[in-house]
Amino acid sequence: MTDTAEQLAPHAIERLKGLRSQGSHEGIFTSDLSVNEFVMVRKANFEPLGLVVGSCIYHMGIQYGNWNQNMEMDVLSQAMYQARELAMSRMEQEATLLQADGIVGVRLEVKRMEWDQEILEFMAIGTAIAHRSGASGFKGVGGKPFTSDLSGQDFWMLLQAGYRPMEMVMGSCVYHVAHQGLLKSLGNVGRNTEMEQFTQAMYDARELAMERMQHEAQEAQADGITGVQLHEGSHNWKPHVIEFFAVGTAVKAMENADALVDGLSPQLVIPVND
Amino acid sequence: MSIWDKIKHGIEEVAHDAQRAAENIGQSASKGIRSQTPEEMQRYSEWELALRQHRLPSFVQSRMFQTSQGRLPWISTAKASELLLQRSHGVQPIGMVTGNCWYHFGYSWTQGHYDGWHTAVERMRLEALAVGANAIVDVRMKVHHGEHEDMDYGVTGTAIRIRGLPPSAEPVVATVSALEFVRLLEDGVVPVGIAIGANFDWYSPWMGTVAAQAAQSSPFAARYWNMEITDLSAFQENVRRRALYDLREDGRRMAAAVLAHTSTTQMFHVAGDQDNPERFLCRHISIGTAISYLPQNVPQHELIPMISLLDHPLKSATTTRKDLI
Repeated sequence: MTDTAEQLAPHAIERLKGLRSQGSHEGIFTSDLSVNEFVMVRKANFEPLGLVVGSCIYHMGIQYGNWNQNMEMDVLSQAMYQARELAMSRMEQEATLLQADGIVGVRLEVKRMEWDQEILEFMAIGTAIAHRSGASGFKGVGGKPFTSDLSGQDFWMLLQAGYRPMEMVMGSCVYHVAHQGLLKSLGNVGRNTEMEQFTQAMYDARELAMERMQHEAQEAQADGITGVQLHEGSHNWKPHVIEFFAVGTAVKAMENADALVDGLSPQLVIPVND
Repeated sequence: MSIWDKIKHGIEEVAHDAQRAAENIGQSASKGIRSQTPEEMQRYSEWELALRQHRLPSFVQSRMFQTSQGRLPWISTAKASELLLQRSHGVQPIGMVTGNCWYHFGYSWTQGHYDGWHTAVERMRLEALAVGANAIVDVRMKVHHGEHEDMDYGVTGTAIRIRGLPPSAEPVVATVSALEFVRLLEDGVVPVGIAIGANFDWYSPWMGTVAAQAAQSSPFAARYWNMEITDLSAFQENVRRRALYDLREDGRRMAAAVLAHTSTTQMFHVAGDQDNPERFLCRHISIGTAISYLPQNVPQHELIPMISLLDHPLKSATTTRKDLI
């Protein structure tokens, strides 16, 4: 049996005894990382610098779709895109001021204001980080801090896999799904049949969102996009209006990836307690 | 809400409480409900005095001491797996410690949160001091909403002692489990407390918000425009920045960094009337675990990637109902 106290760093013992290094500015930051994420970010040789936030309160224009036609609601698509972009760019500005290499754990949240159906709040929040020894080669597009929605654990694994994050990329499409005509509805009575108009609308909206996300990754000169999530939502719009929102982290293989990779190969385990 | 509205609201609350108290007295008399025993009255007055004097009542102090001396069984929120630490790392649970503070928001909901949580944590720390602990782990935070402008802030945790260390003058407070606490300690990271950053402000646009101004100049067309409401964005950004600054300063007070696990921003609109113009209230609160570490001490733990062979059956998607179509 060993005592923890014998193995602890002097700093930890000092704090546990109730002493503190007053006036020390080392290691003081704010972040929304979990404790495990914090450990993993540090394990990846990065240090958190601070919580960075960008927000935007936006009035969405009104647009009506043609009742019996599938079509993109371009006014709403643009609004969703522009407002998210504004929130993200403000968050990036804060990270630039902190001289960060990048931002991890970015969350993009959209909330409707209670007092007005057409006003939405967009918020981007994440933790700015920088390489502990100031190593270069981790910045994103155009020397700006990279952005990523990967957690601290995923960030460590991404680096171990020989990739670095470039930019959080997204694609949005707000789509009006056509209503079915009366004759068509009557024709379907008692039949098992595909509703092609609806299928096509869902396909097209999803495709447009993914195309746009892929285009952003291409602009960022990335090799691929990891951790893609496809969200479907309606921000209190009329029935038959849906938003497809694709988001992921564009990544690029590091030049000397093979030398950097630790060569860790996962072990197979079978937990016995769950 | 203006100060007069607040006072009026407060008087209404008091009148309401008085009416309920009167009803209660009538019911007690008619149903023959018993009154407090002398022991209960004694206990009540001890609590009252102890809370005012920022100390523990003698009966709590006595139970804590008995527990710390092993004369009473220890109480812990730890799972069985965490009890392993008792043997492997010399971490000994001493007792469950608690603190709470039922707080009335007289002038500020935001400041109330800050004061309420800090008071509850300090009371819990008093219990940890009484058992000679080095730390409180697995701290859980809970609120109860009151009937009016009030709320109870409650914290519970397990006081632990680390073999080989003397009792701490100021036991650290950690929201992580004992298992995580030890792992962090081995990496030179010490969770030391709970940090809070809160701020609120009112905004009264003299000429209306940017969107309202646009609607005035182009009543029909403005509804169809996409536009950022820049003044509201800036107002909200300021409130949030000030709250996060407070969070950082609260961390600095403990000479620690803050991992914020809870953040919330709310904005309310109060329509104008004859006496008051249109107003917006924005409030932001962030709560986090304060950790102390030295950046030059790099993590020491070895990591082993693993793939679980447990099967995760596909969840049925057919039950997911979309309201859109």
